[in-house]
Amino acid sequence: MKVLTVSGKSAPICFKVNIFFINFTDLSVVFSSDMRKGHLYFSFAGVGCNSVEKKIYVHLNYTVPCVRLLNATHQIGCQSHLSGNVGVLHVLESEENVDWVLRSGPNPPYLVILESPLFTRSIMMKLKNGSSRVAGVAVVAPSANPLEGVSPHTTCPNENTGVYTENYDPSLAHCNVTVWNPLGSGLSYEQFDFPIFSLKDDNDTQVIRQCYMDHNRAVNGSTPQYPLCAMQLYSHMSAVTDTATCMRRNDINFSISPEMVCDPLGDYNVWASTRPINNTAKGHKMWESVVIAAARLDSRSFFFEVAPGAESGVSGFVTLLAAAHALRNATQEAPPNRTILYTFFQGETFDYIGSSRMVYDMQNNNFAVDLDNVHSVLEIGQVGLRADSRLWLHSDPVSRKNDSVNVRKLIESLQTAAKGLNVSVNEPGFSQPLPPSSFQRFLRARPIPGVVIEDHQSAFTNRFYESMYDNAEYLNISYPPNLTPEEQLVFVTDTAKALTEVATVVARALYIQAGGAESQLEGINADPQIVTRMLYGFLIRSNNSWFQQRIPPDFMSHLTDRPTNFYVGVAQQRSELTHLVQYLLANLTGSTANISQDNCQNQREDEKDKESKHMYSYVWVQGAAPPNSTKREGFCVRSTVRLSKALSPAFDLRDYTSKNYSTWTESRWKSIKGRIFLVASHDLEVNFPFTPQRHEKAQSPPQRDLPSPTENTVHKLLQTALL
Amino acid sequence: MNLERLPNEEKLSLCRKYYLGGFAFLPFLWLVNVVWFFKEAFVKPVYSEQLQIKTYVKRSALGLLLWVTVLTTWITIFQHYRAEWGEVGDYLSFTIPLGIP
Repeated sequence: MKVLTVSGKSAPICFKVNIFFINFTDLSVVFSSDMRKGHLYFSFAGVGCNSVEKKIYVHLNYTVPCVRLLNATHQIGCQSHLSGNVGVLHVLESEENVDWVLRSGPNPPYLVILESPLFTRSIMMKLKNGSSRVAGVAVVAPSANPLEGVSPHTTCPNENTGVYTENYDPSLAHCNVTVWNPLGSGLSYEQFDFPIFSLKDDNDTQVIRQCYMDHNRAVNGSTPQYPLCAMQLYSHMSAVTDTATCMRRNDINFSISPEMVCDPLGDYNVWASTRPINNTAKGHKMWESVVIAAARLDSRSFFFEVAPGAESGVSGFVTLLAAAHALRNATQEAPPNRTILYTFFQGETFDYIGSSRMVYDMQNNNFAVDLDNVHSVLEIGQVGLRADSRLWLHSDPVSRKNDSVNVRKLIESLQTAAKGLNVSVNEPGFSQPLPPSSFQRFLRARPIPGVVIEDHQSAFTNRFYESMYDNAEYLNISYPPNLTPEEQLVFVTDTAKALTEVATVVARALYIQAGGAESQLEGINADPQIVTRMLYGFLIRSNNSWFQQRIPPDFMSHLTDRPTNFYVGVAQQRSELTHLVQYLLANLTGSTANISQDNCQNQREDEKDKESKHMYSYVWVQGAAPPNSTKREGFCVRSTVRLSKALSPAFDLRDYTSKNYSTWTESRWKSIKGRIFLVASHDLEVNFPFTPQRHEKAQSPPQRDLPSPTENTVHKLLQTALL
Repeated sequence: MNLERLPNEEKLSLCRKYYLGGFAFLPFLWLVNVVWFFKEAFVKPVYSEQLQIKTYVKRSALGLLLWVTVLTTWITIFQHYRAEWGEVGDYLSFTIPLGIP
């Protein structure tokens, strides 16, 4: 989490320049005529803020670092020196070229620029082992996804915090039966001693490549001579070793300046129910039997806050949102026996933060219902890449052996629901453990019947699991050319149609599982219009008119023109995603209430009402503007949507070495930036006591125009002064 | 303060004060004692109080050496092993560096 923002450096340097000028003009007053004094004053005014720093450094605009994350036993991610890592640029051509960097290159340390096909585990491990000669790595992110699958996640996600431990069933632990993510390289979980940044393939990167071509490339076997093009990357992380150490250092009181060094990861889970449940009275609810419909919200990638999460996250929760909307009418008009609880868990990527917290709250009577109220669980996993329109129903083989755990009924509900639709639901056909899913945390607490719906029979079909390539392009969301953003918003893509079918199956299955009548099933259909709008909003552009109509006015500024970021982030900051899902769920499952804005925002029906806030929640949304005006007409939405804290129980229990709960924290840092410049040889290094760094020559990088004559004089003056 | 101008009794009393003061965990007083009175004790021609001053200077030097040894040893051990001591190391530290163990 960023603590200090470093302001633009040109202003202070400008000030410094001005002071120099005053000195020189004072000197020159003695010798010069009024005319010359006027000339120098003119140049003083003319230089203004065109400082020397800008002539030396080209700052990188788009810097995406990899940051340090810590858990109970390890630290992962990247670290730079406090004063940045400087390295001579080298564009890596092939894997054999790594040898040049590590052994034979004459000007270490090098800052290696990798094109994305070379960002593989073998190359990164070699660079990691030779890290005294490697100052950092910059990876150029391609504009199109690579052809073969790349996943920086581990091969067995969340293997220690799921239900398959040595105690439960040793033959199923540690992915003995099925390796879920076979393409996983585990790069995201390695520790690097140098910074690794991601660069977009745009003009800035072209400047970098050009700088390398002009200055650093060996021509005809000769070694390149100084001055060489160099890059400096700053991403110094404050936390170190593991979570227990950094949380302890957070708490130390008696130092002069107490510094927070890390923050736990977490956010809020979003949940809603088809029948209102009293949220203020926590603990067991008599006569309440609940079917939980779960989905996961978050995702991650190797780099910080880059997490498109299309197949791994979005496909699941958008389906559940559409199913919730499809069930709205049926559960109002012909309510089934049991209540359906829609839950969207945050932080599942990092050892099930959200679901472990909800189960913990249920066990400690801190949630609106408890585990005795839970009848069954239906979870929607990754459903975006269905081959042959097949859906696979995964269940836990160990708990199924117990007769009281009635998974059969749940599977039959799903099969009934899929009748007549273009979807076929099958069980994997052999005894296989559950894939990584939030339902595993419920099983850890007690055996409950449950099914996880996925699009893969055994290993993931997702070739880009938890990577930066798991985006809209991978889900085949494509629009005809020449559509405006508004037209793209309403265009129903094939992916949207496919997900709509899954949503219909899920909605109908939930209805039957909750005890509803089969005769009502015909009326339960998910709406492809809604699905396509949600896919557009989450994967392409969150600032669109459909989202804008469903959010409160003060949330407008948080919508961006980019896809939503699915990284869970630190617990203090509620992410854009959680808010969006909360408001969408309220709009899709709730109803309009004729309440004034003031009452709505105070969670009451009228001035005297004190009871409604226990059962319902109210959101004032800004709505749409009518055709002949620009002012939006807001209205109040009454729903049963609630937020529940998704912070790992390990932090409440202060058990930072816990093996049962997630202990992931994110380090804090002061500044993250990068810049390129030309660097002179060590021989020219002037060892003044106040210039410990390499002596950066004041030469303009290739793309800049030459300074004007007036500025040139000034420039030379300053060069002599600084030398 | 110019020792030349002081009578010998006062020199002796000053030396004694610094010597005794050093016992209050103030080794720098002993360092000052050694440096300041070295000439008086060992270089100047003999006078009546010089023997006492010599004793004080020698004992101050001894105490100083002891302190230097103890402090150097402790500082070396602490700087080397602070990271490994984990919790104890953190509680003993006044400022903990960021980003390195």
